[in-house]
Amino acid sequence: MRQELAVDAHGLVKLFGGRRVVDGVDISVPKGAIYGVLGPNGAGKTTTLRMLLGIIEPDAGERTLLGHNRPREVSDRVGYLPEERGLYPAMRAKDAIAFMGALRGLDLKTGRKRAVTLLEAAGLGHAVDTRIRKLSKGMAQLVQLLGSVVHQPDLLVLDEPFSGLDPVNQERLEALILAERDRGATVLFSTHVMAHAERLCDRLAIIAGGKRRFEGTVGEARAMLPMRALYTPTRDESGVAAHLPQDAEHVGDGWRFTVPDDGVERVLSTLIAAGHGISGLSIERPSLHDVFVKVVGRAALEDMK
Amino acid sequence: MSRFRILLRQIWTIARRDFVATVFTPTFLIFLLAPVVMGSFGAIGGLGASAASKGADAKTRIVAIVDPARTADIAAFDLRLRRLYRQPEEAPPLLQTLAPAADPAAQARAQFDDKRIDVVAVLYGPLATPHVLYTPTSSRSGNYLALLAEEALRADRSGIAPLSTVTRTVVSRTAPSLRGANASGFFAVFALFFLTLLLAGQVVSAVAEERGNKVIEVLAAAVPLESVFFGKLLGTFGVAVLFLAFWGTLISQASVLMPPSFAAGLAGLTPALGLPVFTLLFFAYFTMAYMLLGAVFLGVGAQAASVREIQLLSLPITLIQVAMFGLGAVALSRPDSWISTFAAIFPLSSPYYMAGRAAQSGSLGIHLLALAWQALWVAIFIAVGVRAFRRGVLQSGSGTFRWKRRRASSDKLVDTGVS
Repeated sequence: MRQELAVDAHGLVKLFGGRRVVDGVDISVPKGAIYGVLGPNGAGKTTTLRMLLGIIEPDAGERTLLGHNRPREVSDRVGYLPEERGLYPAMRAKDAIAFMGALRGLDLKTGRKRAVTLLEAAGLGHAVDTRIRKLSKGMAQLVQLLGSVVHQPDLLVLDEPFSGLDPVNQERLEALILAERDRGATVLFSTHVMAHAERLCDRLAIIAGGKRRFEGTVGEARAMLPMRALYTPTRDESGVAAHLPQDAEHVGDGWRFTVPDDGVERVLSTLIAAGHGISGLSIERPSLHDVFVKVVGRAALEDMK
Repeated sequence: MSRFRILLRQIWTIARRDFVATVFTPTFLIFLLAPVVMGSFGAIGGLGASAASKGADAKTRIVAIVDPARTADIAAFDLRLRRLYRQPEEAPPLLQTLAPAADPAAQARAQFDDKRIDVVAVLYGPLATPHVLYTPTSSRSGNYLALLAEEALRADRSGIAPLSTVTRTVVSRTAPSLRGANASGFFAVFALFFLTLLLAGQVVSAVAEERGNKVIEVLAAAVPLESVFFGKLLGTFGVAVLFLAFWGTLISQASVLMPPSFAAGLAGLTPALGLPVFTLLFFAYFTMAYMLLGAVFLGVGAQAASVREIQLLSLPITLIQVAMFGLGAVALSRPDSWISTFAAIFPLSSPYYMAGRAAQSGSLGIHLLALAWQALWVAIFIAVGVRAFRRGVLQSGSGTFRWKRRRASSDKLVDTGVS
């Protein structure tokens, strides 16, 4: 059975000054999932999100948002936190949230009520009537985020939501994203910080140089790179390297090498047979960070070619 | 909910925010009272100039060198003639009479060298054949002295007492006078120019505000830019209407507090179509002028990347506005010339000229036609403005002018029909 999609885009292309900023990107976000769009600065993440939302039109490609091929028609069911944060400095926090809800069709009275509840839940109950200009940057950013969820959207799109937030507020934001998913919303966010994506995403896409370089789950991303083993002999003797795979490198007291396709047992048997003891052995799974660096680096090389 | 209703709701949300954000601030009071401040500066300047002028007038004289036996007659006629002047500053300088010396001609010339007073005209010689000397700018004073001599001689024949007994009755006009209509025409053009100059600029402030706090990105993401554009235009228009209502009410009631002579003067400014119809037409033309200029300001303002650029770009628009005011005023003074036809047709000058025409001309049909014509141009300006606004707002990045960036780019932000 085909999975229901909140966002479905194929072959999105956007040209700026003759340059393909987005070059044939496909994105399929299942309903109810948390989906990350990862990529380095200038990869085309923001442009892709803007095209998905219908803020700008693609030069080529197709997309549907919540089943509609005209994204603007469902804008009331979408929440969006743009990369460039902006609030009216003279507005009170609850009014700013209610105003953003009103833009998406929520009446102001309900918006204000919900704003108070949301602010209290986010630990900002004391700032309900505080003007935006008097809030810290992180608090204002949270207020804007609350403004993008106040109308309880079916799809929440966040562009670099973690940038500029301190660790405490980053944790609050992660909790809010999970709460939105639990409410039933689909969350699509872009980031270049892998730790958040690793913790939150059900699926992700890596974009570099305007092209999608990977799409899948975090586990599938990690599986792109082989596991690594860190072996520490009982004694630091010469001749250990001769029994290790060719890519082994000396790291501190031990040796790091790629786990062969048939596993690490054969290497260990050889080492023991040669009289090298095992003081320590750990198998390291590649992190999303490793995958990202590898994929982006490879993309940069391709682009250079 | 239909798309139209959604569009209206979005426009209303943005318009209400802009209206509230402008009106419910202490600075709005300053803005509301701006005409008072401007008027006060004008009054202070005027008072200063007037005081300086009065100081000089007090020492200015006309001199009649006449036989001492005629001094009383001359003084009496001077008093009688001066009653014709409503304001003292309109009358000739004060009269001084002197008895003739041995050489009256030399005595007359010597008066102009007096360092204690400024003598501008001197009469000497027999009243039947007097000589009048006057400075190049004082021919009227010279004529006045000649008239005094003439009157004195006529009194010799018919006596000093008035020959006729006049019955005076004050009559109010039933139809507006040509002079009043012309004056109210110019007043209408000036008022429209002043109001649009003061109020349409508010639209630029609205764009500058969005630019400064980057809210435009939030708005653009949530609602179509058409709604943002209309919302901003209507929000600031609401502020303008409030401003207009405040001052309109104040001015309409001010005649109660004014001196009767001034109130009577104001009553003379009756527009040809009558005050109620004229008020409606003036508001309609104000709406058209505001929408035309507001659309230009918004469209152009969106092309700038910073507040400074917005100010730079709005300067030429203001200059065009001044030119349109000038065109409207000149056209009013030449009602049947090609200039007036041009001023009526050219979209930017049409509201100014037609507002003045509403005060001058009694025909209503031409105004309905003009309003329809202007409404068409408002639609065109708004359509182009929205397009410019959309293209300007949705690009971010370097501080160079948007149009320069766009020229170097083949970016197409308009609907490509892909969806």
